[in-house]
Amino acid sequence: MTRQDAAETHRAIILVVERDPHVRALETFFLNEAGFGVEFASDGQVALAMAREMQPDIIITEVLVPKLDGLALCRAVRKEPELKNTVVLIFSILAAQSRAREAGADAFLMKPLAEQRLVTTVRELLARRASAVAAASHP
Amino acid sequence: MTAVEANQNSFPRISTGNPQADLVLGGGLPANSLNIVMGQPGTGKTVFAEQLMFANAGPDRPTIYVSTLSEPMSKMVSYVQRFSYFDGTKLGSEILYEDIGPLLASDGPAALVPWLSELIKRSSPKLIVIDSFRAIHDLSSSPPDMRRMVSDFAGLVSAYDVTVLLLGEYTLDDIDRYPEFAVSDSVIQLARQPLGTRDERFLRVLKLRGSAYREGRHAFRITGDGIQLFPRLISPRMATSYTPRLERTSTGVPGLDEMLEGGFWGGTTTLVIGPTGSGKTTMAMHFALEGIARKEPTLYVNFQENPAQLARAFANLGIDLEAALSSGFELIYVSPVELQIDSIVVGIFDRIKDGKIRRVVIDAVGDLANAANDSQRLHDYLYSLVQHFAVNDVTSMLTFESGISTDGGLDAHQQRLSYMSDNVLAISLGGEERTRRTIRVVKTRNSGHDPVVRQLDITSAGARVS
Repeated sequence: MTRQDAAETHRAIILVVERDPHVRALETFFLNEAGFGVEFASDGQVALAMAREMQPDIIITEVLVPKLDGLALCRAVRKEPELKNTVVLIFSILAAQSRAREAGADAFLMKPLAEQRLVTTVRELLARRASAVAAASHP
Repeated sequence: MTAVEANQNSFPRISTGNPQADLVLGGGLPANSLNIVMGQPGTGKTVFAEQLMFANAGPDRPTIYVSTLSEPMSKMVSYVQRFSYFDGTKLGSEILYEDIGPLLASDGPAALVPWLSELIKRSSPKLIVIDSFRAIHDLSSSPPDMRRMVSDFAGLVSAYDVTVLLLGEYTLDDIDRYPEFAVSDSVIQLARQPLGTRDERFLRVLKLRGSAYREGRHAFRITGDGIQLFPRLISPRMATSYTPRLERTSTGVPGLDEMLEGGFWGGTTTLVIGPTGSGKTTMAMHFALEGIARKEPTLYVNFQENPAQLARAFANLGIDLEAALSSGFELIYVSPVELQIDSIVVGIFDRIKDGKIRRVVIDAVGDLANAANDSQRLHDYLYSLVQHFAVNDVTSMLTFESGISTDGGLDAHQQRLSYMSDNVLAISLGGEERTRRTIRVVKTRNSGHDPVVRQLDITSAGARVS
């Protein structure tokens, strides 16, 4: 799903970077239920390539993913001008809140998956991003 | 606070619905964990699980009880509503019953994980109880397949914000055999064993990841309120720093205080040893009466005389037991045939822990020894209890019936009790008719004493040392 596709359906695109099949399946289900479009990558390098192409609204990434870990992915995204409006949410089994902040993540959530917490956080991040984008376009 | 305790405070827990079980578990079960409650049929697994379910039920997300044995919900409900923790308004909304028995019977154990995944998506449960998980093994002919299923199952439930309880009729041998024990975060064993003419139940934590817990067997019984647990008493941490109160406490026996340079030090424990009929109970009653006279809250624990007999004995010494009971004197009476050391010792501990009780009498420790099938366990309990007396500044007297010693020395059993006591008094019966009583101070900790054997007279007016 591209940003254009999503815009036509008014759905935000979420790129989930996760290799645990159960987390992935449940995350898809609950995010879809909440009205979001979801795409997957199972390693950080693929995720970065997909992000450049898709320009997702949010990247939700586990820290522990192969090739390029979630924190390195976050730092790489922050260096891409094309992805300046993409929100990064670190969602991990590791208690890496401060490292996530240092890497430039917008938010951190600890696993396990609690759908209400996840969906609420995603909505808040999207609302915050929309305000920031609006403020930037009408200075 | 230790580092482990600090860590435990930040460790999310869910209550078992039983404060004493939570105490044993260091605060409850870890939240979002996979737990096993194992035990043979009739050991209380379902009661444990139901108590936990009703305690945690709430309107936010449901608790789901999954039967693998095709047990009809009506049967479960007919039993659970006999307990005080049952709340009928929660059934069907906050607590749901599901039966996966027919699906497992037709499609095999592999059907569990997809079914559970759909259940999570559909119901967002916060707690799932599966009863019986062990029974699923009986439906599998392939241990490797079962191992894969359990691994997949553990992966699913650890991915989601849910706490899972697996109940099963597992034996201790099953722990090495079945893979769920390797992936579980905690294992709690419930068991029962015959003790004389009755059974004794106990709970034991065999595994609890990332948390300290109280090891050993904790006795329990099942009442109308669910599981009533008696956590094994452990010595207080501050025991090593305790120093006896520098104030003498009268024994209440005329002439005996003089042998002890004015009485026992406050906060100490005294063991009174003697054969049957030597006057130990009379000594203990004097000690308690002195507490009443000084308006010191006193606890009298007695296994021999029932309250009516005790009232008569106190009346002989000029005390109205009823009046005493209404002014700070407390009595615990348990018939020797009903004795369960865990409940007695924990009952005593509960009475002293708020710091009000100043004197305790236990008459007689030998009755507890007879009730215990494990003398080491009894000594561990008594040692812990005595340490708690010390740190709570409780002055105590324990009586113990000895055999008739020919040389006046202590036997091995008495020696062990002596080590944990600050003071030891030995009463002997002598003379041809064995009617001449003598008393000897065997030891006093941190105090001098009169080492001479003195005559002990017991009359209708009580005891007197001369």
